[in-house]
Amino acid sequence: MNIVEELAEIARTRPEKLRNEKEKGIKIVGYTGRFIPEELIYASGAMPYLICKGGEPEPPEAALSYMVKFTSPLARAQVGYYLLDMDPVIPMCDLIAAQCSDCHDGALADIFEYLKLPIMKVGIPQDWEKSLSRDYYYRALARLKDRLEALTGNKISDEKLTESIASINRIRDVLRKISLLRKEQPPPIGGYDFIRLNHYSFYCDLDYQAKRLNDLYQQLKQGESPFSKRVPRILLAGHVVSVGDYVVPKLIEDSGGVTVAQFLDEGIRHYLWDVRTGGDLMKNLGETYYLNRVPASIFQPAWLKRVEYIRKLIKDFAIDGVIWYQLFMEDTYDLEGPIVAKSMEEIGIPFLKLESSFEYSREATGPLRTRVESFIESIKRKRN
Amino acid sequence: MADIYEKFLRLLEFEEDEMPEMLPAWRKACEKLGLTEDDMKFAMEERLPAHFELEMKGVRKMLGGWIRELTDVTQTLEYKENGVKLVYGILPLTSYFYYSLKLTAGEAVYAGLPDFQLAVALNMIFHKLSPYLEEAEAHGMSYGCHHCPLNKTRYAARRLGLIAAPDVLWVWGFICDEGPKSDEFINVYYDPEWKTYVSRLPQDQPLYSVEDEDVERVKYLADQMKDGFEFVQRQTGIKVTDAKLMEAIGIYQRYNKKYGELNRLMTSDPQPLGGLTCMVFSQPILNPFNTGIDHMESALDITIEEVKQRIAQKQGVLPKGAPRLMTWLTPVCVPWIAKMFENNGVGMTVSSLLVPTKKQMTKPPAFEDPYMVAAELWLRGEFMVNTGYEVEQILEKLETYKCDGMIFGFIDFDRFLGRDQKLMAKIVHEKTGLPVFYIEGDVWDDRDYSPGALRTRIESICEIIKMRKASQS
Repeated sequence: MNIVEELAEIARTRPEKLRNEKEKGIKIVGYTGRFIPEELIYASGAMPYLICKGGEPEPPEAALSYMVKFTSPLARAQVGYYLLDMDPVIPMCDLIAAQCSDCHDGALADIFEYLKLPIMKVGIPQDWEKSLSRDYYYRALARLKDRLEALTGNKISDEKLTESIASINRIRDVLRKISLLRKEQPPPIGGYDFIRLNHYSFYCDLDYQAKRLNDLYQQLKQGESPFSKRVPRILLAGHVVSVGDYVVPKLIEDSGGVTVAQFLDEGIRHYLWDVRTGGDLMKNLGETYYLNRVPASIFQPAWLKRVEYIRKLIKDFAIDGVIWYQLFMEDTYDLEGPIVAKSMEEIGIPFLKLESSFEYSREATGPLRTRVESFIESIKRKRN
Repeated sequence: MADIYEKFLRLLEFEEDEMPEMLPAWRKACEKLGLTEDDMKFAMEERLPAHFELEMKGVRKMLGGWIRELTDVTQTLEYKENGVKLVYGILPLTSYFYYSLKLTAGEAVYAGLPDFQLAVALNMIFHKLSPYLEEAEAHGMSYGCHHCPLNKTRYAARRLGLIAAPDVLWVWGFICDEGPKSDEFINVYYDPEWKTYVSRLPQDQPLYSVEDEDVERVKYLADQMKDGFEFVQRQTGIKVTDAKLMEAIGIYQRYNKKYGELNRLMTSDPQPLGGLTCMVFSQPILNPFNTGIDHMESALDITIEEVKQRIAQKQGVLPKGAPRLMTWLTPVCVPWIAKMFENNGVGMTVSSLLVPTKKQMTKPPAFEDPYMVAAELWLRGEFMVNTGYEVEQILEKLETYKCDGMIFGFIDFDRFLGRDQKLMAKIVHEKTGLPVFYIEGDVWDDRDYSPGALRTRIESICEIIKMRKASQS
C-alpha cells in the first residue's frame, strides 16, 4: 500500500479510533473552518475532529427543512450528514467549536445549536486590520481555551501548548516541503493526492503521520513523476475542496492536467504559516490564524492581497491556467471570481470558473468534464 | 396646462411654493433615470392606485417623500462638483448617525443610501428597477448567485454615471457579508475612487441571548460605531458633537414611536389601512433621507389622524373579522403580493421586522454615552440579533397585533437575514401553534416570479388561514 492510501485508511477509521478514545474518557472536540486552532484542542488532551465533509448531494438536500437553499452547500452538508446519520463523530462530540466568520457558517452553528449539539460559537471579525477586531478574536480564543480546560479538566499549560504547536508545525513543515516539490515539471505528486494528504492530516495521529509524510517526501524526491513532461500546470483556487469532494481535483488530472498549487480558504492545512513556539503562545496562535495568513475571502479588505498572492503562486509554480472552484450560492466567492478572472486576463493566464452544489450525477458531471477537458486542451494548444 | 410630470407631483402633495424648484428638478431626474411620460401615467393610473390608499393625504405625501429623495439622489454628481461631502451607507443601518451629520452640516453634506432610494422608488412606484439589475449582472454580479438587488443597484448606479463616488461609504456590515464585500467589489473591480470604511460585528451569540443587556457586546458594538463614525468625520471634516448625536437619536426615537402608534391602530377591526402602506412608513427608521425626516414625519402624523378617522367610521381595507397575518418583511417593491393577500380576504397587517417591541417603545436606554445608547438600541432591534432573541420578539408582536399566522421569506438574496428564515418559521410554529409559512421570493425584485406563479400559493395560504379562523370563532 502506498503512503497516501495508508493515510487514507487511517483517516477512514478515525471515527472508530475516536469512539475508543471516548470510551476511555477522552473528550472529542469537533470544529469547523480555518480559525479554530487544533493546537488548543490537542493541548487540552481532547481529540479534534474537523467537520468539513462534502461531495455528496443527499446531505445538503436533507438540511433544507432547516436551512434555505441559498445557504452554501458546505454548511448545509454538515447539517445533512448529521441528520442522515452519515457522520458518526458529530453525535459523539463533547464540544463543537464553530467558527462564525460569515453567514453560511453562522447558519450552520445556529442549526447545530437548535439541534442541541454542544456548540461554542467563535466569532471572527472580518474587518481584520483593526486592533478592535483582532482583540475580539484573541478574546474568543481565550474563551475557547477556558472552555476546553473546563471540559477536559486539564489545564492548557505553556508546556502542553508548545508541544502541540511543535507537533502541528512538523506536519506543516513536511506538507510545505512536499508542496514545493510541485515546482518541478513534471511534478512528482498531483493536486488530487496532495489535497487528500491535507485532508488526512486532520484525521491521523500527529507523530505517525509526520513520520509517514516524511517517508513520502523522501520517496517523492527520488521517484519519477506519474505525469507527462508537458502536462499543463493548474492552480486550483476558490473556497474549499471539502473532505470527499474530489470530483474536480480528479477531473483535472483525468483531463490531462495537474494541479500544482492550490489557493483555498478551507479544507486545507495552511502549511506555509507556522505558529511560533516562544513567548505568548495564545498571541502566537492568534497572529498565525488571524493575521499572518493570506486573508480569507470574507475578510475586508482582502481581494487585492489575494490577487497579488495568486499572481505570486502563478510565478513561483509556473502556472498555465487557473481553475476557480466555488460552491453554489456562495456570494463572497461569486464576487471574488470576476476580480480574479480580470486579473488573470491582464496577465494572459487562462481562467475557468466552476461551480458545484455537490451534485455529481452523470448528467451533471458530463458538462463539467467537457469544460475541464476543453480548458486543459486550450492550454495545450496555446503552448503549441 | 400642467404636463404629466407636474400632475404627478401635484398628486403626491407637493406644495404650490415648491413647484418652481421641484418641477424642473424632477424632469431632469426623470431624464437621468430613464423615466418617461408613460412611466408617470403607469404610476398615476395603475401602480399607485392599485396598491396604496391614495385617497388619504398622508399616504400621498409619504409617496411624495420618496420622489423628493429620488430626485435628490440623482444630484450627487452636481453636489460633488459643488464641494458637498458625500456620505453613503448601506442597509441595514441606524439612521441617527446620518441625521446627526445633517443636523451638523446641513446642505454641506449629502448623507443617504442611494441604492435603497433608487430601488424602492423605482420599483415600488414605477416598477422600473430592472435596467439597473441587468447592468450589474452583465458586469460581474452574476444573476445565478442571486446577489442582493440593493448591492446591484448601487454598483449599476455608479457604472451608469447616475451617482458620484462618495467621500466615504461607511459600510455597516454588522449583520451582513455581501453588502460590505459588494463595496470592496466595486472598489477593486470597477472604481478605485469608491472609498469605503467597514465596521463589522460577528454574529456569534448563543440563541436566545439578550444582546442589548450584554454590556460587553454593547461596548464592542459602541466601539465599532465610534471608530467608524470618527473615520467618517475625519474624511468629511465635519465634527459631530455628542449632543447632536443624541438629538438625532431623539428624533429617530420619536419617529419610531409614531410608527409604533400607527401599527397599534392597525389592530382595529376592520383593518383600517393596507399592510403595505403601513410598512412603507417604517423606512426612515432604517434609511436616512438626505432631504430630512420632517416631510415623512409630517406625512406619518397626517396618516395617523386619517386612520383614526377611518377607525371611528368603521372603515377598513378588509371586512370586519378578516384574518390578519404578520409578515417577517412585507415586500415593498413587489406591492402586488400584499394586495393579492388582501384581495383574498386576508391582511398582511404587520411587518415584524421593523415594528418596535414594547421594550423599544418604552424602556429608556441604560447608558448616557451616545455610542453606547446607539449600540444598545441597535441590539434591541429584531433583525440585528441572534435568531432566538429575534423569535422572542416576533412572539411578542404576534400577541400584540393579534395575528392569525405568519409569513416568512421573500429574502432569498440575503444570506444573513434569509439564512434562518426556515428555522424561525419552525420555532414560531412550535411555540405558538399558529400556521406559519415560508415563501421563496425577493422583496426588491420580482423578475423571477409573477403574480400568476404565486397566485395559487397565496390563495392556498389564505384559504387555510380563513378556515382556521372560522373554525375558532
